[in-house]
Amino acid sequence: MTPLGRRQPATRGVFAIEQEELLLPDPIALDTSFVVEALVATQPLHGICSPCLAHIFESGVSVATSELLRVELAEAVFANALKERWGRQWRRHRTDGRSRARAGRLLDRTEARYEKMLASLTHISIPLGDITTAATTFMREYGLASYDAAHAASAIAAGAEAIVTVDTGFALLPASLLTIYTDRSRLASCRTKRPR
Amino acid sequence: MRSVASKQTNGRPERLSPERLAELTHPPKYKTVEERRAALKAATEGLRFKVRVTRDMYRPR
Repeated sequence: MTPLGRRQPATRGVFAIEQEELLLPDPIALDTSFVVEALVATQPLHGICSPCLAHIFESGVSVATSELLRVELAEAVFANALKERWGRQWRRHRTDGRSRARAGRLLDRTEARYEKMLASLTHISIPLGDITTAATTFMREYGLASYDAAHAASAIAAGAEAIVTVDTGFALLPASLLTIYTDRSRLASCRTKRPR
Repeated sequence: MRSVASKQTNGRPERLSPERLAELTHPPKYKTVEERRAALKAATEGLRFKVRVTRDMYRPR
C-alpha cells in the first residue's frame, strides 16, 4: 500500500516484465535484446526473459518482429565466436576466417532455437521495406538510433502497442506511440528517458 | 498495392493494412498446444555461449 502523502511514480508507459499479472496486448513486439536473453541460457537476464516468453505463449497473443532481428541474432553469434578467440581485440579480427567455422556451428544452434520459438507462436514478420519511412521519421523526430527505429517502426506497423526489450533506447519514443516492457532494473532509466 | 507504414495521423505512423498484415502473419507450425509448449521449452533451454552477448555485439549505438 502506498504511504499517505506519497505519490505513485508515473509509469510513463514502461512496465516490468517480472510482474506476474502483466497484461499483454495482441500483438506484442519483440526486440532482439529480449530474444537473445530468452534463448541463450548463459545470458544474465535469461531467468527473467525466458519465463516472460513463456507468459507470452500462455497468453496466446501473437508476436511481431522486424526482419532485422534475424540478422542481428546472426551478428551477435558471429561476434561471440570472434570474442571467444580474440577477447577484447575481436573487432580487429572481423575478417579473420579462423572463427567462421565455430561461428557457423553456433549460428546453426541459435537459428534452430529461434525457428522453434517462432514455430510455437503466431508470428508477424515485418520486412524492412515496409517501415523505412517510419523508421527515419523516428530518428528525425525523437533521436532514435537506426536499428532501434527499425524495431519500433515494425512494432507499430504490426499494430503492436508494446515492445518487449532490455534496451533502454526505445524510451526516446513518447509513451503514446509505444509501451515498453522491460526488466525491473531498467524501469527508472526508461522512465527518465521518456519525452515529457 | 503494398501499404506502407509511412502515412501518419497526428504524428503517429499507421499500422499496415489488414491485407498486408495477413500476408506477413505466420500461424504456429506445431498443431497442438502441447507440441508448441514443448518446442518453446526446447528453444529456451540448453543454448550456452562461452562469452556474454552484449548490445554492442549486434547493434551500433
